[in-house]
Amino acid sequence: MVRCAAVFDLELASASKRYGRRHALSQVDLAVPRGASVGLLGANGAGKTTALRLLLGFAIPTRGAARLRGRDPFDPASRRGVGYLPERLRLPRAMTLARFLRVHGALAGLAGADLAREIESVTETTGVRDRLHEPVDGLSKGLAQRAGFAQALLGKPDVLLLDEPTSGLDPLGVRDARDWISAARARGATVLVSSHVLSEVERTCDQVVILREGRVAASGALGALVQPGESLEDAFVRAVRS
Amino acid sequence: MRAFAVLAWESLRDALRRRLAISVALVLVLGVAAAQSCTQIGVGGVSIQGAPVEPRLLAGYVAPLLFGFQALAVLAMAGLVASDHLARPLAEGSAVLWLARPVSRAAFAGARLAGALVVTLGAGALLLGATSALLVVRQGVAIAPALAGCAATALGAVVVASLTMTASLVMGRTAVLLFVGLGLTFAAYANGVGLVSDLVHPDVEVGGLVGAMNRFGPPLFTAIAAAVSAWNPHVDAGDSWPHAMVRLAAWSVAGVALLLLRFRRREIES
Repeated sequence: MVRCAAVFDLELASASKRYGRRHALSQVDLAVPRGASVGLLGANGAGKTTALRLLLGFAIPTRGAARLRGRDPFDPASRRGVGYLPERLRLPRAMTLARFLRVHGALAGLAGADLAREIESVTETTGVRDRLHEPVDGLSKGLAQRAGFAQALLGKPDVLLLDEPTSGLDPLGVRDARDWISAARARGATVLVSSHVLSEVERTCDQVVILREGRVAASGALGALVQPGESLEDAFVRAVRS
Repeated sequence: MRAFAVLAWESLRDALRRRLAISVALVLVLGVAAAQSCTQIGVGGVSIQGAPVEPRLLAGYVAPLLFGFQALAVLAMAGLVASDHLARPLAEGSAVLWLARPVSRAAFAGARLAGALVVTLGAGALLLGATSALLVVRQGVAIAPALAGCAATALGAVVVASLTMTASLVMGRTAVLLFVGLGLTFAAYANGVGLVSDLVHPDVEVGGLVGAMNRFGPPLFTAIAAAVSAWNPHVDAGDSWPHAMVRLAAWSVAGVALLLLRFRRREIES
């Protein structure tokens, strides 16, 4: 459990989630303080995406509770100032990138010149500015992921939830994504990154939660989890095999 | 409210972009062609066994039948458009991004319903408007029953679309389309049996499932038929239209409430 401040943007309190007989999460406690950047690690099926789904109100905990910015995630106000990039990014059909971002900006509460400025800024940052008038469902995987990042970063969110954010990106894109996450951290955003890519988590997060079969196997500051002479990969393997 | 407006506009654009819009346009063209053809009946004079039939009497049968079929087509269209207008973005995964925004579930589902209804009601207004105009001009019927029939069809479309959208949250597309087809057919049949029974044996109530559907189910066909029966000089519908409209309005509210309630805490795949 990661606890170091009184104000938590993301919280799971003894949260369990069961799908039929399968326990996707079992009594997981997670409390991410404002401004922290936490990496959620685990093997396939460890419960990372389920944890994000609970935090965003896409799923209801079978037991326990989830809170987003101190509220029930089903309360729309909890998602104000939240940017989200899903693992399986499905962009709407037959909609240009410009329109896609305009709609997301409007839903995030932006309007008029602020919205136009924000779209210009995020598309410049994510390198998709020259694609603004192309349909989003026709973008290549890498460009679609960049477009997904652009919508997640729209309006400078206070909380960023990223599920496998580097999926589909080429090495340059991976490096860019790292920079975007670092920039969000630098301006004080709370970041939760769910990823298989340990090196990315190592570079972008200062705290880590390792899930194993739906339970927290290890958690804490990176420096505390990784013992002298070992890498995060060693610490991860130790946690999931112990 | 702003989120609802933004999403409703997107929902409308989405509905117009879909291939389904072609089907809607086809129904519209066929419907207007049918109206154009059917309203010519009687123009040259109709006679039975050599005796000429009074045009007003002929219009009293042609007009309600034609309007009734067109209105049923609009209700079927409402079901067709609503059958996957909410379910598809949920199944595809594109809804996840919208729902990660500060958008209430009610606003999202309501906006999807609104988009489907605007397309259906727009097409319905064109179809029933053209049919009514042709009937008024060619058959000389009054306009008021047509307006009452349009209002009944609009309320019926809300009932059909909201119930269909709710069904689409718990069953697959094929099952939903079956639900729409069978449900509409059964409701129209039950309402039709009820109307005929009321005309022939007003003191006898229809029993069984058909009677229960007619008494307690949405009076989709009853409200339309009650409105346009005023065109027939031999039928006295009395106050059955306002009664049917009150029941239909209650069903509309219930249908929309059921949809919002069902979607309120539905789990979303991401």
